[in-house]
Amino acid sequence: MIKIPPYLKKGDTIGITCPAGYLANGKADNCIKTLQQWGFDVMVGKTLDGKSDNYFSGTDEQKLYEFQAMLDDESINAILCGRGGYGVGRIIDQLDFTKFKRKPKWIIGFSDITVLHAHLNSKIKVASLHAPMAGAFNKENEFIESLHKALLGKKTKYTCAINALNKIGSATGELLGGNLSLLVNVIGTPSDINTKNKILFIEDIAEYVYGVDRMMYQLKRSGKLDNLKGLIIGGFTEMKDTERSFGKTVYEAINDIVQEYDYPVCYNFPVSHETENYALKEGCIYTLKVTKKTVTLSE
Amino acid sequence: MKRKDFLSAIVPLGATLSAMATGRDFIEPDFAAIIPPYLQKGDTIGICCMAGFISFAEIQSSVNKMKEWGFGVKIGKTVGERDFSFGGTDVERLQDLQQMMDDPSIKAIMSARGGYGTVRIIDGLDFKKFALSPKWIIGFSDVTVLHAHLNRNYGIASLHSKMCNSFPDDWKKAEPIQIETINSIRKCLFGEKMQYSAAPNASNKKGFGEGALVGGNLNTLINITGTKSDLVTKDKILFVEDKDEYLYSVDRMFRNLKRTGKLVQLKGLIIGGFKLKPDDPGEDFGRTIQEIVLDIVKEYNYPVCFDFPVGHQKNNFALKYTVKHQLTVSNNSVSLTEVR
Repeated sequence: MIKIPPYLKKGDTIGITCPAGYLANGKADNCIKTLQQWGFDVMVGKTLDGKSDNYFSGTDEQKLYEFQAMLDDESINAILCGRGGYGVGRIIDQLDFTKFKRKPKWIIGFSDITVLHAHLNSKIKVASLHAPMAGAFNKENEFIESLHKALLGKKTKYTCAINALNKIGSATGELLGGNLSLLVNVIGTPSDINTKNKILFIEDIAEYVYGVDRMMYQLKRSGKLDNLKGLIIGGFTEMKDTERSFGKTVYEAINDIVQEYDYPVCYNFPVSHETENYALKEGCIYTLKVTKKTVTLSE
Repeated sequence: MKRKDFLSAIVPLGATLSAMATGRDFIEPDFAAIIPPYLQKGDTIGICCMAGFISFAEIQSSVNKMKEWGFGVKIGKTVGERDFSFGGTDVERLQDLQQMMDDPSIKAIMSARGGYGTVRIIDGLDFKKFALSPKWIIGFSDVTVLHAHLNRNYGIASLHSKMCNSFPDDWKKAEPIQIETINSIRKCLFGEKMQYSAAPNASNKKGFGEGALVGGNLNTLINITGTKSDLVTKDKILFVEDKDEYLYSVDRMFRNLKRTGKLVQLKGLIIGGFKLKPDDPGEDFGRTIQEIVLDIVKEYNYPVCFDFPVGHQKNNFALKYTVKHQLTVSNNSVSLTEVR
C-alpha cells in the first residue's frame, strides 16, 4: 500500500533543492515569494546559490548531502525541486530513505525528477507530486495553483480538451508516470515501475518522433502497456523530425502502438514541459473518464 | 545435446522476462556460441532493409564488391521501397527478412543500412527455421537489436559490421582504413580467425579478459532493456559505440547499464567511437567520456579500452558478436583476439 504523506498547513516549511541541473541565481525568487504568500516557510538549499560553473547544481556529494538532509529534517514538510535537467540518476542509489519511510513528506517536481517518483512508487511506496518546479513560478496560473491545492490536500478534478485520437472509456487506478525518456531509462533498474492496474501518464520534450516511437516500443516490449487501467498522453512538445521524415505526428505514432489495447487513452493532457502542467499525485487513486465530449481526471 | 533438445531447452529463456525485468535473480545457462556456417565462394548473400530505406543506386557498390569476393547477391524486395523513413512498411520489412532467414539458398543476410526500425519487426520474426540452420546476420547501429536478440535468446553468433551504404563508391579514391574495414567483413564471412588492435590510450585500464563479445550501439542497447532482446552481460566482453549524443545523455546511459547490473560481472569493456554532440552554451557537462566511464566502472577490475575501432566512423571493423574473444590491454597496446 502506498503511504500518503501528510498534507501541508500554513506555517509548514517547504525545502527547495536542486538534485539535478543548475539553476541560475534568482530563478527561484518568484517561487519563494509565492510559497511564502501561500503561508509556508521556505528553506532554500545551497544547490540554489548559482555558484556552480557547469551543468550540475553542485557536485554529486553536495546534491546528495542536501537532499538527504532535507529528507531527514523533521522541520521540513515538503521538498520542492528547483529544476530538472539531468542528475537524479547519479545520486538515487546513495539516498537513504529509512527515516523518510517512517515520516514521509511530499517530494515535488517533474522531468528528471521522474526517477525519484518512480523510485518512491516502486521501492519506497510513498506518494509524491508530479508538478511544476521553482522555475515555472513566473506568473499566477491554474497550474501553479493546482500545486497549492494538492499540497493542502484538496481533491482535484482536471479536464482537458478532446482529441480525435482519444479512446473512449473509464478507469480507476493508481496514477503513475512522468517523463517518457526517464521512465524507459529506469527500466530494469531498482527504480523500475510496475504499471499493472495503474493509470500511466507520459510526457516529453525535444525528442525526435522516431525516438518517441522507439521508447514506446520499449514500454510495449517490456510489458509496461499490457495491463494498464488507462493511459494519459501529455504534452510532447518541441518534437523534431529526421531529414527522412517519420511521416507521422508524435501522437499518431503513439496511437499506432497503443490502439490494440482496450483501456481509455487521452491525448494532449495538460502535463508537460510547458505552462500546462497540472499537479498530479503519483501513487494516489484517480478516475480517468474519456468520452466523446469530455476528458476528466479526478482524484 | 541434440539440437532438437537444445531448442526446447532454450525456449524458456525468452519467457523469463519478468525475472529479468526485476533484475538480479536471472541466471543465464552457460551455452557455447552457435556459429553459423562460414561462407564459401559461390554462396549467396541476401540484402534487405531491416530499418531505414535505401535506393538501388546506394547499394550498387556493395553488390559489386561482394560479387568480386565471389558471392552471389540476392536483393530483397525492400531495397528501393520506402515508407517515409523506413525501407518499406513494417509488414514488408518483416516478410523480406523472414523470407531470407528461411531461404536455404541464402547463407548470410546484410541489412542495407541502419536508421530506425528493427525493433518494430523483431517480435514478428519466426526464428524456428533459422535456429535450426543459422546464418550470418550482418549490420550495426539499429541492427544491434537483432544481434542482442540472437545472443540473448538463441546464442547464435552474428556479424557487427558496416552495411551496404558504407561501401565506398570509388575504391580507387577510398582511404586505406575504409578498405581495411570493408575487407574485414570478407575475412569474417570466410571464417578467418580475427585479431584487432587499437592505439593505446592514456585512460585505458590494463588487464586481460576472455568472454563472448556482445554490445553495439549504446542507445539501442539501453532501449531494449527489460525486453526479451535484453542482453545478459555476465562473463562477457561488452563493446559500445554511439553518435550524436550529449555527454549528459551518455552519462545517463552508462548509469543505466550500471543500475541494471550490466557492468558488474563483465570480463572487459570496449569503448568504441562516440561522436558527441557539443554541450549547449552554459550547460558544460564538465567531464570527458573517459572520465564518465572510468568513474562508473571504478570499483571493477576488468580491462577497459577507449577509441576502439568500432562505431559510426570509417574504422569500424567487423566483429563476431557472441563469439569468444580475448581482450588484452597493456601500457602500449590493445588487442582483441578471437578464441578458437
